[in-house]
Amino acid sequence: MKNNIRIERAIKNITQAELAELIGVSRQTINTIESNRYVPSTVLALKIAKVFDKPVEEIFMLSEED
Amino acid sequence: MKSRFLFPHWCRYVGYVLVIAHIPVMLLRKMISFDTSGSPINNSLLSPHHLFFMTTTLLMAIGLFLAAFSKEKVEDEQILQLRLDSLQWAIYVNYVLLIVSLIFSTDTQHILFLNLLVPLVFFIVRFQWKIFQNNRLLRKDENPS
Repeated sequence: MKNNIRIERAIKNITQAELAELIGVSRQTINTIESNRYVPSTVLALKIAKVFDKPVEEIFMLSEED
Repeated sequence: MKSRFLFPHWCRYVGYVLVIAHIPVMLLRKMISFDTSGSPINNSLLSPHHLFFMTTTLLMAIGLFLAAFSKEKVEDEQILQLRLDSLQWAIYVNYVLLIVSLIFSTDTQHILFLNLLVPLVFFIVRFQWKIFQNNRLLRKDENPS
């Protein structure tokens, strides 16, 4: 699964730490999601989408191997 | 997501202290060769030898247990996933070792002891190593120099 959290963060101008704080996870978790090493649960994906005020599909999308 | 059945974070340090405190006691036992088994008195239940063995082993096991199953500073689903992954690895490694030692050894007492240590020790090392790796990658990401 791919995501564009990094881009969305740049648009909204918040750091990984601030995003982590907003959704109640560790900075490490945000970092692993951004670098595609961890696939978040639906709950977490929805929370992230809510922060950026966008539908989940605009932030997370399936990749070829999914 | 809520993690259940975990001790508070400070229990980890209590656990480490118990495990480390157990090492000199074990060495002392070996040195004064209190550990001589064979005589019939030594093998009876609640003999001094048995009591000593029981308390030291229990202390170590409780220490490992506390160190392994205490909460992280931030408990989230990724930590939960890492914990589950590490547990699976620990069980695999333990059973491979158990099977190998059952084939090549008849020393059941030491096999039992190994079986007591390996899953928890392997779990702790693997889990902490993964957390360390994540922290390192995070630091690298924050200051890419």
